Amino acid sequence: MLNPVIVFENVHYTYPGDELESLCGVDLAIERGSFVAVLGRNGSGKSTLAKHMNAILVPTSGRVLIDGIDTADEAKVLEVRRRVGMVFQNPDNQIVANVVEDDVAFAPENLGVEPTEIRRRVDAALALTGMSEYSMHAPHLLSGGQKQRVAIAGVIAMEPEILVLDEPTAMLDPLGRKEVVDTAYALCKARGMTVVLITHHMDECVDADRLLVMSNGSIAADGSPAAVFSDQALMEREGLGVPETARLLQALRASGMALPEDRLDTEGCAEAIAQAIRTEA
Amino acid sequence: MLKDITLGQYFPGDSVVHRLDARTKLVLVIVYIVALFQAQSWLGFGLVTLVTAGCVAASRIPPKTMFKGVKPMLFIIVLTAMLNIFYTSGTPVLPGWIITWEGISRACQMVLRIVLLISGTFLLTYTTSPIALTDGLEMLLNPLRRLHVPVHEMTMMMSMALRFIPTLIEETDKIMSAQKARGADFETGGLVQRAKALLPILVPLFVSAFRRADELAVAMESRCYHGGEGRTRMKQLRMGRADHIALFLGAAFLAAMIALKRLGL
Repeated sequence: MLNPVIVFENVHYTYPGDELESLCGVDLAIERGSFVAVLGRNGSGKSTLAKHMNAILVPTSGRVLIDGIDTADEAKVLEVRRRVGMVFQNPDNQIVANVVEDDVAFAPENLGVEPTEIRRRVDAALALTGMSEYSMHAPHLLSGGQKQRVAIAGVIAMEPEILVLDEPTAMLDPLGRKEVVDTAYALCKARGMTVVLITHHMDECVDADRLLVMSNGSIAADGSPAAVFSDQALMEREGLGVPETARLLQALRASGMALPEDRLDTEGCAEAIAQAIRTEA
Repeated sequence: MLKDITLGQYFPGDSVVHRLDARTKLVLVIVYIVALFQAQSWLGFGLVTLVTAGCVAASRIPPKTMFKGVKPMLFIIVLTAMLNIFYTSGTPVLPGWIITWEGISRACQMVLRIVLLISGTFLLTYTTSPIALTDGLEMLLNPLRRLHVPVHEMTMMMSMALRFIPTLIEETDKIMSAQKARGADFETGGLVQRAKALLPILVPLFVSAFRRADELAVAMESRCYHGGEGRTRMKQLRMGRADHIALFLGAAFLAAMIALKRLGL
């Protein structure tokens, strides 16, 4: 790997009072500017993995390096957290202010940024997440997807290099899910931000650069989404449904059509099938 | 039914009262309360009422909204009025009655005092955003930090509480519906029975409030919150000419009220 921004070195973690390890020897390096999706069933350790990325949890043994900074170094905790913006599952429980723009300003205020600079960052963050027109709204009157975009704006205002989203769509309706996931992809593609998306929705991982599958505290699979999804035995073992598009392509290939494996988004899949039909005819 | 609570509600606007610095408004509310308790005579009450009406008009908050805030206090108001009517000695209204002219007058003044007290303080929360309010309070109380009073922590807790009022109200409604769906009855029975019926609401509400608090703490830490040390503010509080004029008028008002009391008027 050329330029890893997150590095896990043989990380073990046991929750206090637990007997079982929640992470058992994770080795991982994440490339700067890439979009990494993490899948896994409940209790697989994917949330624990995420919480190690901004020093909310510190490894029992092994170490985590963010941009070369060891997260176990207590003097540098703020440095780590400024670099890694973290968005959680429940949007209500991470919004601290009664007005959207005041909430987005919370993180830079904590960092002691100058007032005029905070203003600039807040406006920029709201523009990036498409929430500018709601800047004076009360958060509790927004929809779930909008609240979650406010939460994303709230961490972007720290100007982090990495955005970690810990099941940000688990409590949202399909429309809200799309809003949030599209925002995350846009931040990676247009801004070069490194994004780690923890989820249990297969279709949110389709466009990722890299897909990790967590199982019992270790990484069970690691590769491009197309490669991981085509391993049916693994997907079934982990209780993960393959995206509809992957299943369709696989079935058609089995019946003798010449189709690629890596066209997993709905449009690409439709195009590939159309092309295959045209060439056959 | 819970949606009617107006406590700590803020009505955004751009009136003179809205634009005043939060610190000015906090100080003026204290001045107002002190002045209100100087009122002894109808002249004094008349002056306070006039000033209150002027402030409400300047804030462009509809009087209807102001009265909505008074509504929850109706029970206390009626009770005080009753006590004053029946327990003040003086000349009876009709021979042999225990109701006296003095009692009626006292009762009216008491009711007026409570209504004015509520209106004055509500005008503050109606016209000041919670963030500005807590920021102003923090700055006013700042000298207490020398006495090791955790001023920042206290004001932070206050603003969090205000932030979560709507969320918790929503949650209470949800829990009530869920319990009703399982046959819980909140509307009938005596006082004791009704109080008991609230228990299945309070327990889940508390459990979820603690879970929320826990998640909120982690989210705040993730956003680099580390106490008040070295924090800056996006919205700086600024005292302008309007604030100086308002403070001067407040001082003049208080002086007038004290003078009236001294003169026995």
